[in-house]
Amino acid sequence: MKSELIFSGIGGQGTILMGKMACTAASKKGYNVTLSPAYGQEKRGGRASCQVVISEEIGSMIISEADTILVMDEKSLIDYEGKVKPGGTLIINSSMIDKKADRTDIKVVEIPFTEIATKVATAKSANMVALGAVVKTLDIITLDDAREVIKMKMKPALVDANIKALEAGYDYVK
Amino acid sequence: MADKVFMQGNEAFAEAAIRSGCKFFFGYPITPSSEIPEYYAKKAPAEGLTFIQAETEVSAFNMVAGVAATGKRGMTATAGPGFSLGCEAMSYMSAASLPAVIVDCMRPGPADGEILGSQGDYNQLTKGGGHGDYNTIVLAPYSVQEYADFAPLAFDLAEKYRNPVVIASDGTIAKMMENVVLPERVEPKGRADWAVDGMNGRGHHNDITTCGDGPEQWERFNLDLQAKFAKIRENEQRWEEIDTADADIIIVAFGTMARVCLDAIRLARKDGLKVGMIRPITIWPFPEKAFANYIGKGKKFFVTELNAGQMVNDVKIAVNDNASVEFYGRLGGMIPSPVEIYNKLCELYK
Amino acid sequence: MSIVYKRPEVFTDVYMKYCGGCGHGIINKLIGEIIEEENLVDKTVFIWPIGCSVYADKYYKADSICALHGRAPAVGTGLKRACPEDLVIVYQGDGDMVSEGMAEIMHAGIRGEKFTVIFVNNAIYGMTGGQMAPTTLMEQVTTTTPYGRAEVNTGNPVNMAEIIGNLPECYYSERVTVNSPANIRKTKAAIKKAFKYQMEGKGLSFVEILSPCPTGWKVKPVQAIKWIDDVVTKQFPLGVFKDRGQEEK
Repeated sequence: MKSELIFSGIGGQGTILMGKMACTAASKKGYNVTLSPAYGQEKRGGRASCQVVISEEIGSMIISEADTILVMDEKSLIDYEGKVKPGGTLIINSSMIDKKADRTDIKVVEIPFTEIATKVATAKSANMVALGAVVKTLDIITLDDAREVIKMKMKPALVDANIKALEAGYDYVK
Repeated sequence: MADKVFMQGNEAFAEAAIRSGCKFFFGYPITPSSEIPEYYAKKAPAEGLTFIQAETEVSAFNMVAGVAATGKRGMTATAGPGFSLGCEAMSYMSAASLPAVIVDCMRPGPADGEILGSQGDYNQLTKGGGHGDYNTIVLAPYSVQEYADFAPLAFDLAEKYRNPVVIASDGTIAKMMENVVLPERVEPKGRADWAVDGMNGRGHHNDITTCGDGPEQWERFNLDLQAKFAKIRENEQRWEEIDTADADIIIVAFGTMARVCLDAIRLARKDGLKVGMIRPITIWPFPEKAFANYIGKGKKFFVTELNAGQMVNDVKIAVNDNASVEFYGRLGGMIPSPVEIYNKLCELYK
Repeated sequence: MSIVYKRPEVFTDVYMKYCGGCGHGIINKLIGEIIEEENLVDKTVFIWPIGCSVYADKYYKADSICALHGRAPAVGTGLKRACPEDLVIVYQGDGDMVSEGMAEIMHAGIRGEKFTVIFVNNAIYGMTGGQMAPTTLMEQVTTTTPYGRAEVNTGNPVNMAEIIGNLPECYYSERVTVNSPANIRKTKAAIKKAFKYQMEGKGLSFVEILSPCPTGWKVKPVQAIKWIDDVVTKQFPLGVFKDRGQEEK
């Protein structure tokens, strides 16, 4: 079993954090995980993306085509739409992206992360809504696994709100 | 066995170095190596480490030389522009037989260039880089696990041969996060009998100099160094072979590119293409021995690197057949995907 | 019969390579006398530079390492940090320190590295063959200032003892010379004080020694001694520029 994921957005949107959480969940189950981040030279406002490979054997950290790609801003959509495996899933942050995806051979899910996060918690949890949506597309990581990671990694005071956000994102994807 | 932890390459390496008894770190911040000095700075009080942010890489390398001269474990980490400055000290430390460890997180040059992964320092690291006839052992990790494992290995090799050892990391391996089993802690050894740490009851004095005393003496000095390098070449070639036994095409790739090629080989094998790989683990000494079994067997060798083909000549020498060696590389921080390499393999098959 | 003068026992039998009239031999002997008198030979580590004193490792029965051009304070930093109980003597000439090694000495001073720097200033590149150093005096003729050092192209001489003395973490900085028996005695006292401070774990101790170089200056040894009094000390005044040991009393 192997899952290849790409999380892409702007610095500050939590794309690397989401990647790390997915990796933590998978590695707890004994999988090999590899997260390769890519940053722009600028410290703020530049591209922040990561490629995540979850697999039973060690392999390339560079992904040819991903099973699931999450794009948090329009530039990421333009750059990564072509990288989704046919039959894979492209998750679009419709709170920030008006543009539509062109491909018809993939599943496209548009989710207003910020609006959903604001409804169930606060806008700061938008990335957990996004993580929930990504988890829904995976066989390797379950919703329970992701909940455990939130409990493990976050301050106790933030756990409940972020789990709510995670679940809302998970449920949004049909 | 210890538990696996999910860690970044640079941080796992730094932790592994601390556990290997490297208590002295001298660094100058430069992307993509900075997490190593930052890790040392953070751990310094609790672990009793000495961390100095040096004024230049020139100084950082020479501070490492100062610690290495006392027989204690010291280290620095940098990227290409800093390594260029450190080359003076590399030549010096090799001549002075100092067991230092240096990390080069390669980034795309020339000059300032870019900050992502690259393998563009291959020539600089493997052919000396500084002035004069010298070499340093160069270990090229391809995973966070190997990066961490190379910390104790690098110090052991440096002390065994009394010569600097370089870890050829790159922007991808440095920043990548993976599961890793960290090495066990080792206790520092006692005083080395050759070290310059004050006689303090030793009964004889030790002098380290790299200044020649006439051409006859300096030739003898150089011949002794060369004898050491010959011994390293004989004993320390390290490589891994993957699916080479029946291969028509043997990929030659190290570090990050070897990882990409693992997936390319799987794609090729699924399509019935007989592709294998020789992965140099030491890029100096270059693992020439790995090629001995495949010379004159009509195999093709496909070198792929994140540079303009710096390893190609080493492969050509190893296989003694220029015509059988092909090359594909990407520059500037671009990394080919497994499919891109697979497509190149298909072209070669035609 | 009592012995009134003898060669320090710490010296080997190796013949010193210094030119006639050079100050290095005197300074080397003073250091040898002090580490012997103070019982410090066993703890001593010399860091020799590139330049006329590059062979000095052969003159002493004590541990030593020779650093590359200007790098002695960086090598000394690593060494002293690794062996804080040792007496680490960083010995440099003016070409080595003030040109190529300016970053290293400045930052060793800024950090207050707890070693002693013996800075031998003879206002010229000696071993390389009489070229201009940053300490070369105005109008001084060298092989690279054949018409005399001129401000317009080279700037002015650099006064290290004052610069280093100004750094907060420098504990002691003094300029002395070895051109007369009286001055040699003062130089010995300065070096002795610097070593004492180091063994007490204080910050950087820096002793600049104006040293004759008749070969480089192209004068007779006697004239070189006089030139120090008449000209060199006008640019580089003798004296103490920092002594926190005195201030704290």
